[in-house]
Amino acid sequence: MPQVKIIAKNFMDMVASLPAIKLDMLYRNQFICEAILRSLPPLAKKYVLQMLYIDDPITSKSLQEWVIADGSSKHKVSIDRLIQLRVFEVIDRKKETTYKLNPTFQTSLRKHLIYGGILPREPMPPNVIARLPTSEELDAYALEQWECFLLQLISSGQAEKSSSFSSSMMRIFQRGFLRQREKEAPRLTESGFQFLLMDTSAQLWYVIREYISNSEEQGVDQADLIAFLLELSFHTTGEAYNLDTLTDYQTAMIKDLADLGLVKLQKGRKESWFIPTKLATNLSVSLADTTSRKQGFVVVETNFRMYAYSSSKLHCEILRLFSRVEYQLPNLIVAAITKESLYNAFENGITADQIVTFLQQNAHPRVAEKVPSVPENVTDQIRLWETDLHRVEMTPAHHYDEFPSRDVFEAASDFARMHSGLLWEDANKMRMVVRAEIHMLMREHLRSQNK
Amino acid sequence: MASAPSKLYADDVSLVVVLLDTNLFFWSSSSVSFSQFLSQVLAFLNAILTLNQLNQVVVIATGYNSCDYIFDSALDLNRGIENGRMPAMSSSLLQKLEKFLIKDEQLSKEEPEGRIKSSLFSGSLSMSLCYMQRVFRSGALHPHPRILCLQGSPDGPEQYVAIMNAIFSAQRSKVPIDSCYIGAQNSAFLQQASYITGGVHHKPQNLDGLFQYLMTIFATDLHSRSFIHLPKSVGVDFRASCFCHKNTIDMGYICSVCLSIFCKHQKKCSTCGSVFGQAQSEVASASDKKRKTPET
Repeated sequence: MPQVKIIAKNFMDMVASLPAIKLDMLYRNQFICEAILRSLPPLAKKYVLQMLYIDDPITSKSLQEWVIADGSSKHKVSIDRLIQLRVFEVIDRKKETTYKLNPTFQTSLRKHLIYGGILPREPMPPNVIARLPTSEELDAYALEQWECFLLQLISSGQAEKSSSFSSSMMRIFQRGFLRQREKEAPRLTESGFQFLLMDTSAQLWYVIREYISNSEEQGVDQADLIAFLLELSFHTTGEAYNLDTLTDYQTAMIKDLADLGLVKLQKGRKESWFIPTKLATNLSVSLADTTSRKQGFVVVETNFRMYAYSSSKLHCEILRLFSRVEYQLPNLIVAAITKESLYNAFENGITADQIVTFLQQNAHPRVAEKVPSVPENVTDQIRLWETDLHRVEMTPAHHYDEFPSRDVFEAASDFARMHSGLLWEDANKMRMVVRAEIHMLMREHLRSQNK
Repeated sequence: MASAPSKLYADDVSLVVVLLDTNLFFWSSSSVSFSQFLSQVLAFLNAILTLNQLNQVVVIATGYNSCDYIFDSALDLNRGIENGRMPAMSSSLLQKLEKFLIKDEQLSKEEPEGRIKSSLFSGSLSMSLCYMQRVFRSGALHPHPRILCLQGSPDGPEQYVAIMNAIFSAQRSKVPIDSCYIGAQNSAFLQQASYITGGVHHKPQNLDGLFQYLMTIFATDLHSRSFIHLPKSVGVDFRASCFCHKNTIDMGYICSVCLSIFCKHQKKCSTCGSVFGQAQSEVASASDKKRKTPET
């Protein structure tokens, strides 16, 4: 079956695709410079900091000399990234290319390092606001909102309440995830399955990316939205910020962000405020391609049974994708990985690697310390069952027999080989199997031979 | 005890413990002023915290008589960053530094003449290793730690044993010790520390540009070090100090049981108590190997 992959297109790619003028304006904001710096690969970060106080351009050859031979591919990736984001400016002279830091970026970052950045809004004083939620309440709220949104996204009947996203917005998010035939309930596509198995931060960035690309059509400036989001990640979790400090488009966006679980909206007597949750402040961590850090909940045993310490409906749905859920207790889901359930998953487009990665990344802390966190017999068996489906490869072909003479046979086999259609031949018995695509050509060739 | 495996979040998360030399005897006679030096170090600390949200910095001040923690980014920055991170960090660090210096000076007693005015490097090194053990044992995911020593004071041979023990303990826990020597001569202890633990040692030529040296060499995270050219050690001074008088010696006597070094012939080893044989004549006595082999 076709291997369809969701291109979880990087949020940074979207930033890099902004026009140069907008990007320069973004770089005037110190926090955006910091967020962009954090999203770079490690080698690129180092280059930026090294060149921060150097005003003259540096030749690409001397930059190359900083790296040893092993790291030249990483070096190239970093340089490309820096040029893409317009952090590095390329000056092509006759003999050699030189690089210089983008002056706006350089000034902002210098100021940021020496003086630190000041957010455009301050947390509200404690006497005005009512009781602030504790960090546990805030985390629970964020998790609940996000899961509810995800469940609604995959159109599962399990979602308890629907978010205030308009149905057209939901349809845009669902584009590519759901396939609906007539009179049938919508089914998840392969990309939908893969989306579910992705890491939360990757999912979050995907949704935000879709949201921002969509807002362009509604007339809101992409760059402003991106700037607001990146700024949001530098606020303090759990502190209240007045809604009056937001501009119009930011206020509109805040309501949608509340539905996603990034902020919590609260109203006091006179004023209303928003409180960023951990999902929001961890945004800048997950900008670069990092490994997942959240606490896992799945224990896989060598007898192919899975114990998931979770009460979340979303987790149950995900586990149902590739295993047979046996019992669901208040805090535990007991499932078994069986051949049938895995075949079901493979048919839906999930690969064995995705399943194994999901299990490894979500391993319960008790087993996460062990190497390997998922028993090898289970991972090996999952992979074996996957290759089972690919054991036999079918190619339509034709079988040729009873050649009049050896010369004709050999001419025919050379002909087939030239057209890369020869699949099998037996020289002793003068038989061969040729791909169906060149069957007509073979016929013409043999007819011409007979004359 | 082998260190707990540190699962790295991203490849370049770092936990840096900076040992800051605040020895007044050194700074009063140094070419660069302490305030200039400190402003460059503060900018460097801020740069490390900017690189990654999960980076952590701890600063320990090395005084003449004592050492103390003066900054821990994990504790201090959880309070709001309304005014920006730099002012909050600088003010907290400077306040604690001032308190530390006052306390340190009060501990000064009468010193015998001729003692080298070295800072208590062994103390701060041990403190940082204890901090790291606490991090290892916290059980949570933590970034891989490293130590950065900013030293200017000369080496004090009386601290030889303590420093070597700390270095071997760091080697065992796989913690690299970077060192940046800003004094006049060379520091054998720092060179040995970086050589044995796999860190980087450098003596900047131009102290006005200290920030650039720090950014280029010492801000490199542990993962990237395998790809980048870093200053290699040219020649390491492996001289030891004797255990009895704390003088630096090239040739001496070694106890064959515990490998303690003595400059003169002794009847009994002061460390392990084993009795030595009769003194041989000067010609016949072979000088034992002058290098102390590291204990593993």
